[in-house]
Amino acid sequence: MHEILATASGALGYVFPNDLHVHWSLMIVLYPYITGIVAGAFIVSSLYHVFHIKALKPLAKFSLLFAFAFLACATLPLMMHLGQPGRAMSMFLTPNPSSAMAGFGYIYTAYAFVLALEIFFIYRVHLVKRRQETTGWQHAMYTVFSMASDNLSERSLKLDRKIISFLAAIGIPMACVLHGYVGFIFGGVKANPLWATPLMPVIFLLSACVSGIAGIIVAYFLLRKIAGKSIDMDCVRTSIKFLWGFFIVDFTFEMLEIFSHGYMATAHWHTLHELLWGPLFNSYWVWQVMILSVIPFLLLGYVSIRKVSDSLLRIIAPVASVMILLQVLLMRWNVVIGGQLMSKSQRGSVDFQPHWFEKEGIFLSMVIMVLPIIILYVMGKVFPFWHDDNQSEV
Amino acid sequence: MQQNFKSSYNVHVVRILLTFVGMIIVGSLLRSLLLPSEFGDYGHYRPGAVTEEANREMRNKTNDSCLDCHYFVKKIHLKGVHEVVSCEVCHGAYSDHVKDGKVIGEMPVYRGEEIKSLCLRCHNKIIRARPPESIKMIAMPEHLEEKNVRTDHVCNQCHHVHAPYKWIKEAREMMGLPEKWEGGSSWKK
Repeated sequence: MHEILATASGALGYVFPNDLHVHWSLMIVLYPYITGIVAGAFIVSSLYHVFHIKALKPLAKFSLLFAFAFLACATLPLMMHLGQPGRAMSMFLTPNPSSAMAGFGYIYTAYAFVLALEIFFIYRVHLVKRRQETTGWQHAMYTVFSMASDNLSERSLKLDRKIISFLAAIGIPMACVLHGYVGFIFGGVKANPLWATPLMPVIFLLSACVSGIAGIIVAYFLLRKIAGKSIDMDCVRTSIKFLWGFFIVDFTFEMLEIFSHGYMATAHWHTLHELLWGPLFNSYWVWQVMILSVIPFLLLGYVSIRKVSDSLLRIIAPVASVMILLQVLLMRWNVVIGGQLMSKSQRGSVDFQPHWFEKEGIFLSMVIMVLPIIILYVMGKVFPFWHDDNQSEV
Repeated sequence: MQQNFKSSYNVHVVRILLTFVGMIIVGSLLRSLLLPSEFGDYGHYRPGAVTEEANREMRNKTNDSCLDCHYFVKKIHLKGVHEVVSCEVCHGAYSDHVKDGKVIGEMPVYRGEEIKSLCLRCHNKIIRARPPESIKMIAMPEHLEEKNVRTDHVCNQCHHVHAPYKWIKEAREMMGLPEKWEGGSSWKK
């Protein structure tokens, strides 16, 4: 460690004036976090729809709605950060194929269509039936949602099943591209040694899968508890196994990336070292790695390998999932904020402290994280979450 | 249980496809309405922007424009180390003061505590990008303590804002002290 000379509160060593301020703050932490949850939740649904993991059936529909609710809010932090939501549509009016940032807009939009269509086809039977049962504005709403079709013949449903398989199949690479691309946006910033690694899309994607599955498990426990319904423990066991599997790969990659940098002592290693053992020590090593990765890793491993009782799993599964959700949030924080804490001078770093009520503050972040849950609640009024809510399903 | 349905088996799929086609048509119409006519002539750069920017009224001028009128300031300013500092850095844009050769508004002149924050805008030690050879960096009130003066002093009690070492040099001459400034830079010219 070098001799750190504190010159002012918030700056250590030699910091360029344009590095004093962390420009990409909490909103840019939330952007990959929310997008990751979308991609991960979609994977859960695909495990049932494409890979026919039958145990995950109770989650198959819910995870799609969960993904859609978060997808609806994924660009919100970006617009809050940029402050010009009116310009968001310019990327469609004047498309620029060489813009990395606009690329996300195109992938996001295409994915939103696929997701919306998949939800439509999966819920079509329900929508058509509701249309026949309801009157007034509800009838009008269901007429629009069901595309004014009343055909539920075997031939029609067969066509639906084909389309669902197709959408789910193209949805997987699209979900991977969606979040891999977020990783690419960070990984492509070659001036930032913490971000500029070709592994960034991989790590982002794996942590996305992990956060999505964990989010689904937490939401499943929570919503079923609130509704006073039973919890399908076989489904929980299977999702926990997938969560552990993805987390093994995710955590290993995260660690291997750091160790590769360290072992090769790459050009910027001294800067990264000072960052990770300096201002990021607590949030990275203590919290992200030691507390929120190692503990859930062991917990998930234990419940996956050993035959544990349902009552124990009922405690471990949500606890480990919440820890993993926090781990991924901290990972986003450490990447996004951490990457900006080191000065381009490579001789100093700054400090970052979010405030409650600033433009991109903690309060707004909480509002943005609550918003998908509200959207999900409203969606739940039209699209029932669970397969045991009604028997009419494809 | 063969049932008779009003709509055909694939009508929902056809309607979705038609919705997409409709969206593309509406989008294209909107695009043709919203897009500036000259867009695309130079890729994503709109040629009209050049003329728009060129026709924008100029807000800033050079020191020569200011010093044309401010003769007494000119005599001091051009002799001090602040010679290279633009008038507008501290006083604001020329266009707020003069229009078509007529004075249209007063320029801000900082006094008292305000002057301290104005000076520290460039001289604050926290901003470490510029080398000490080109600009004097200080911390407050450390600087005042070093110089053995009261810590409630403001900068222009010792420094003439246009020629920072003018009064110091004059005082040294009066007291018969050596001219070399201990900080490194000397009273210029």
